Amino acid sequence: MILNKATGIRIDGKKHMSKTTPMHEYLNPRFVYLPLIQQNSPLKRTVEVGDTVKIGQTVALREGFGAMPIHASVSGKVTAIKKVWHASGRMVDALEIENDHQNALDDAIRPEPDPSLFTREELVNKMVNAGLSGLGGAGFPTYVKYLAKTPIDVVIINAVECEPYITCDYVMIEKYPEKLLKGLQYFMRAADAKRGVICFKNYNVGIIEALKPLLSHYPNITLFPVKDLYPAGWEKYLVQQVTGRSYPNLPVEAGAIVNNSGTAIVYADVVEHNIPLISRAITISGEGVKEPKNFLVPIGTPVKELIALCGGYADGLDPAKSYYIAGGPMTGRAIMIDELIVNDTLGSVIVKPMPAERNHPACLGCGRCADVCPVFLAPTEIQRAFEMNDKDAVRSLNASKCMQCGLCSYVCPSHIEISDFVFRAKELLRK
Amino acid sequence: MARFANAKAPYLRMTDNPSFGTGAIQRDFLIALLPVILFAFYKNGLQVYLDGNISFLEMFYPLVFILIGGLMSTLLEALFFVITDKSVRTMKTLGKKLSVSYAAIPGLLLAMILPLYTPVWVLIFGCIAATLVAKMLFGGFGYNIFNPALIGYVAVAFTLYGVIQNAGGALNASEVLADAVGGATPLGALIEGEGLSYNALVAPYGTLLDFFVGTIPGALAETSALAILISYVWLVARKVIKWFVPVIFVGTVFVLSWFIGMIAGAEGVWFPLYSILSGGLIFGAVFMATEPVTTPRNPLGKVVFALFLGVFTVLFRFVGDFAEGVATAIVFMNIFTMPIDNWTAIIRSELGGKEIFVKGAPKVKKPISKATIKGIILVALILLIALYGVLKAGGMFTASGWILPTVGRLF
Repeated sequence: MILNKATGIRIDGKKHMSKTTPMHEYLNPRFVYLPLIQQNSPLKRTVEVGDTVKIGQTVALREGFGAMPIHASVSGKVTAIKKVWHASGRMVDALEIENDHQNALDDAIRPEPDPSLFTREELVNKMVNAGLSGLGGAGFPTYVKYLAKTPIDVVIINAVECEPYITCDYVMIEKYPEKLLKGLQYFMRAADAKRGVICFKNYNVGIIEALKPLLSHYPNITLFPVKDLYPAGWEKYLVQQVTGRSYPNLPVEAGAIVNNSGTAIVYADVVEHNIPLISRAITISGEGVKEPKNFLVPIGTPVKELIALCGGYADGLDPAKSYYIAGGPMTGRAIMIDELIVNDTLGSVIVKPMPAERNHPACLGCGRCADVCPVFLAPTEIQRAFEMNDKDAVRSLNASKCMQCGLCSYVCPSHIEISDFVFRAKELLRK
Repeated sequence: MARFANAKAPYLRMTDNPSFGTGAIQRDFLIALLPVILFAFYKNGLQVYLDGNISFLEMFYPLVFILIGGLMSTLLEALFFVITDKSVRTMKTLGKKLSVSYAAIPGLLLAMILPLYTPVWVLIFGCIAATLVAKMLFGGFGYNIFNPALIGYVAVAFTLYGVIQNAGGALNASEVLADAVGGATPLGALIEGEGLSYNALVAPYGTLLDFFVGTIPGALAETSALAILISYVWLVARKVIKWFVPVIFVGTVFVLSWFIGMIAGAEGVWFPLYSILSGGLIFGAVFMATEPVTTPRNPLGKVVFALFLGVFTVLFRFVGDFAEGVATAIVFMNIFTMPIDNWTAIIRSELGGKEIFVKGAPKVKKPISKATIKGIILVALILLIALYGVLKAGGMFTASGWILPTVGRLF
């Protein structure tokens, strides 16, 4: 409680809004916009405006850290380079491809006769060639995790979705349980790990029902329900709970690799059919959407079309008094113009009305922010140090441990943007 | 294309629920005062009326007295806003300011810890010290360093003590008539040098059960441990206070008093029990030591703070000349809230996220961190002050001086 209780609090998940409706496959938008940026690193374009591309054809390259190719998600003609709104909250250059609805596949996409013969190196190479990056939200290049020198004994699949509203991972597992298990199996072989563990929230019995019948073919894979707490899906918690070990920076240091369930499902196709990362699942939900739904869409699809497929915004929604959130409501980002496109990290778009405005007092010092902090920081102290521009104080308070779960702001009874102060304090350290 | 609102993450807040917020916390705190106020009314009003010692209207005086306190501090704060704040022009803006300032609380608390027959002008003087000096001059709600009610109390108790005693002091009409105690409260008896004997300290007021229920002489509303215990359960259940702060505070005083009793030859558990049940200890532990604004924010800081409060209460109560050990200790420790908060925040952030490495990973040898040194200093300070308090107080009360009497006199 004071020092080492695994913290986390229950937040109303609001998952029912989009959980029961079946996955809507929307694979042929008229235009897709492939953002020429990944994790803040700009991509090098390899096609020109006017070129014809096929599904799975390389159109851009990521260079430097996490170098890998990026692929066209529809077949058609590159018509322009346009500025589009990106989940990072900025406008970025994007490759506009007009869909010719031929669904012509690149030559590289073909089924593998015997995927069980692949060696570790070949499996990791496939991740690179497929441009596979984490679909959970951080967008970390997957293969980088598998290059670590530390021996890995467990691969953990993160299907926790601890943020409210989001259900796309759940619906994907319900639909493709076999692919998830296969993908995990290949991950385990790529890491030479003995164990595979699938973590999910304990109330998601649907996942157990979908996976249980198949598990007998995968003796090394186990299911691992976690408590309904936020942030139960945090990598560090999962590794701690599954292995009993902790780590300072990356899970590999504790002999574990954590992958999102969506990534595993894509990886099964990567290994068996050489289909690169060209589509992803996304949840459109929130009180501001008429009929919340989950979609499977090519990367680059405009979110606007998806919201139209959800019946549009709820009646009487005043945009000026509503949030349009790229990502989950806890860690996502409010986008001011609803011209967002689906990029590889965007798992959800939540539209919800703002709460009624209230007159909030100053910080009363209740300390709830310090109570809930999963990494045992004292946000108010960090705020004080930040406001005094005292770098040393910020450092000695270990502000860099913050992983921006947003819980301190969530619990604040005075509605103080305390997690933003901690974030800015972290930025101060970087300068 | 539609333009949406911009704001900072997270987009879900507990304050989205209109019934949650700082206002609700303060409301719960006010509700927690009810059992204590009701007991004060019972002991100093209803019971005395039933004894036939005061008139029907006089029966309500304790309630009126507490209300005057709350009203005065609200008025003073409104006045302060009107004079100093240019944005306050209409009743509406004033109301808005007051709605997030929780003006009544200092005055209410102050009235509750003053003796019943404190003259009203003294109460108003105390409210001025509490609201204007200790709260508003420091920047208002959330910025005050000292507990406003206690500043008001200290200002009044140390300067106008004689005035309060002359006006009737703490004893209600029935207690004056009973006259078993020579006009003193139990703690007063200790300070007047009655020595550590059950017959001098507890017997004149009844038994320890009377101490627990609260039917002993004392300040208006702080005598009943029972009523305060009800408030404590409510406050903990509503998550307004942390359960361990009062427990550690009272527990420290209990343990140290036990040691003092042993040194001074007061056998048995009665002396530590007398020590925690007399004076404003339990009231202060539940309502003042947990006051969020003026105490550390992080849980480890609260623990350290409560420990310090315990040792300083013992020091001020038994070694100092005044009986106001609790009030002095809390006000004194308020000064150190900021450094304690900072030090414990550093210690906690280092201890809390302890990393367990994989077997075989190279071990990093770290130099002794600043946090460790700070932790050692804090613990050493608590132990030293506790040791000094126990030895000094124990030596003072020892007539024959069978243990270290000189140590007590040395300092």
